[in-house]
Amino acid sequence: MKWITFGAIILAVGFLSSFPFSGMDASGDKRTFRMTLSNEPPTLDWNLATDSVSFTVLINLMEGLTEYDDALRPRPAVARSWDVSPDGKIYHFHIRKDARWSDGKPVTASDFEYSWKRLLDPKTAAEYAYFLYDVEGAEDYNTGKVTRSDSVGVRALDDHTLEVRLNKAVVFFPSITTFMVTFPMRRDVVERYETSWTEPGNIVTNGPFVLESWHHEYKLTLRPNRYYAGGQPAVKAVALYIVNQPSTALTLYETGDLEMANLPPEAMASYRGNAEYTTGPLLRGYYYGFNVQKPPFTDPRIRRAFSMAIDRKEFPAILNRGELPASYWIPPGMPYHNSAIGLPFDPAGARRLLAEAGYPGGRGFPTVTAAFNTGPENSLIAENLQAQWKRNLDVKILLDNQEWKVYLKRLQTDPPPLFRLGWGADYPDPDNFMNLFTSTSGNNRTRWKNEQYDELIHSAATMRDPVARQSAYDEAQRILLERDVAIMPLFVATQNWVIKPYVGGLHINALELLYLKRIKLNRP
Amino acid sequence: MTRFIIHRLAWGIPVLWLVATTTFILMHIVPGGPFDQEKLLPPEIRANIDAKYHLDKPLLSQYVFYLQNLVHGDLGPSYKYIGRDVTDIIKETFPVSLQLGLSAVLISVLIGVGAGIAAASRARSWVDHTGMFLATAGISIPSFVLGTLLIMIFSFKLRLFPAALWEGWRYGILPAITLALLPAAYIARLTRSSMLEVLHQDFIRTARAKGFGEGYVLFNHALKNSVTPVISFLGPLTATLVTGSFVVEFIFSIPGMGRYFITAVTNRDYPLIMGVTLVYALVIVLANIGVDMMYSWIDPRMRVKKRA
Repeated sequence: MKWITFGAIILAVGFLSSFPFSGMDASGDKRTFRMTLSNEPPTLDWNLATDSVSFTVLINLMEGLTEYDDALRPRPAVARSWDVSPDGKIYHFHIRKDARWSDGKPVTASDFEYSWKRLLDPKTAAEYAYFLYDVEGAEDYNTGKVTRSDSVGVRALDDHTLEVRLNKAVVFFPSITTFMVTFPMRRDVVERYETSWTEPGNIVTNGPFVLESWHHEYKLTLRPNRYYAGGQPAVKAVALYIVNQPSTALTLYETGDLEMANLPPEAMASYRGNAEYTTGPLLRGYYYGFNVQKPPFTDPRIRRAFSMAIDRKEFPAILNRGELPASYWIPPGMPYHNSAIGLPFDPAGARRLLAEAGYPGGRGFPTVTAAFNTGPENSLIAENLQAQWKRNLDVKILLDNQEWKVYLKRLQTDPPPLFRLGWGADYPDPDNFMNLFTSTSGNNRTRWKNEQYDELIHSAATMRDPVARQSAYDEAQRILLERDVAIMPLFVATQNWVIKPYVGGLHINALELLYLKRIKLNRP
Repeated sequence: MTRFIIHRLAWGIPVLWLVATTTFILMHIVPGGPFDQEKLLPPEIRANIDAKYHLDKPLLSQYVFYLQNLVHGDLGPSYKYIGRDVTDIIKETFPVSLQLGLSAVLISVLIGVGAGIAAASRARSWVDHTGMFLATAGISIPSFVLGTLLIMIFSFKLRLFPAALWEGWRYGILPAITLALLPAAYIARLTRSSMLEVLHQDFIRTARAKGFGEGYVLFNHALKNSVTPVISFLGPLTATLVTGSFVVEFIFSIPGMGRYFITAVTNRDYPLIMGVTLVYALVIVLANIGVDMMYSWIDPRMRVKKRA
């Protein structure tokens, strides 16, 4: 037995000594900014990225033609300026002459042309290729109707001028050029390293930082890009730890291992009023939709009654994250938001409408099922809605939750009478929110179609007069939320952070984009 | 022994095939696909993606294609983590889970066997009662509660160990203990009951009559004859621990393989589901071979049986 004990001790010492020693302790260097990502970035190939985690990394490694200012308006980045033709269909972007890649080579208009055509190439199979469908010939090339990329309306006129021709004069086109899928790309790098071109040592970027290391599932380290012309970052490095559990991230923040962390709802009470706590709205709406082809919700009066029977003020109280109750759909922080739109909480009016529809006092109302995807927040909301509809309309609603992908399949094939969904903005223009419920939108699971609504949304996309555009979106929201009531918005999500007091220059915006180049650390 | 190992390994091949086939069928039966998402893709783009990953082919062709690649050691690309092969993901994450898992096995054996011997040698005393109370508690407390408790006490209050991350050996202690306590409790109970049985046998009485000290009797006579149930338990336990724990890796932010047993399924990342399942099956096969080898090493009667 002695030799077994001896062997066990040797093994124990062996294993413990083989644990990693990264060289950089988690407490870090005084000029390293440390924060967390909630997941491993699925990719750093910006033509293929679709998620917010990849976006957080990429906006710090890369720069597009434009970037957002603090009010989420596009401002010049790699493009120092742009001209628009009188009909609004042709853009000329003028590329900065001092823009450089991280290997010192100049950023040219051809890098944009290559990137956009690669995004649209069917072989790339990019999910967000449709972002460029407003560009001439883009959809035909992406869907294989034409096989040559020459017909796509993007062209480098010279090293510093990029011409973009549009199908229609969409007024929000500059916002699209802030989006990661449109960032420039180096053909030589992609072709040389193929699928591993995004790994450290291979990847070449043009933003304020370069990717120094990427320990998959664990940590990414960024260092300032010495060729970046937009001003050198003040921090020496950025460490992005992949921490899935918000409570773990908060513990690391509290033990001094992070400069910034997302605040989970259970910790809100202890941080409210604290100087380190900061909050802000997100451009993300949470709603319940009706399948308007399924009884009893074929009757708009019933849909209106259900929406009017909801006291939306209850949601921030149960979710505890400072959500903004919303009966409107275009969220605050987005142009053309109007908080006066939407049906107010009116239980008496709701009961009247239900009675008019043939169910006085809820009598005879069939039992319907409200469906949602499994999750603690969704359960709380669904149970609250169930109770409110019982209390205010005296109707019985059953709840049915399913795993996310199973739920999505069900929404695609046979949407239930009542279902939960949400929508987060890709770019801060109401078109991104309102287009969702047009009759041709694949994301419209309500089976609701309204020609007037479609026409308003299509024409608003090209309106240059802000007053006319406001009026078009107001009218469209009234049709969607007050007259036809295809959906019931419930609230706008918020973001809640804790940030160490010695961190300066960090602005949180409603798209949750963290531009880390402006950060300063005045650590004691 | 070599023939025995080759024979068992050869039997592992149909086992792996069966696991691969069952997993393939099951994951395609479950509704929802890898590219179903909140923001629905235009059908043309969806067609491009399906073509890229051969998802537009009939299921049988996909199965044959997968097996052909598998035979050549290619587990395919991940659908979720673009540009990364499943083999790369396993190569990067399995060593982390292996290291943490083996540390946990070691801790659980040391604590479990130690507590089991102490309880059995002082049966029905306060040592026995305390040990078995703690073992019951260890079995009952889920790892997410235990992990959080350990973080609260040792990281947050006492600042002795880091709360999470994976930067050096100190970072492995709390997760290894979290992983180890549940199996340690099982091992303690197994050791105790098995040892109590052995301690009442004639050869122990003979050893004591010969005048050997109690410690000598316990470790050199009783323990060796009591560990067989523990070894049986160690096989599947090792396989489970070295392939990673979803909960512990999440709580402590450890870049191991355990998380994929859940996330690959929720993402419907078919090649990754197949990859981690096959690794798990392979480790089970190997662990069982290891257990059989340990049986014959510890108990000479087993060697005789095998030869027979």
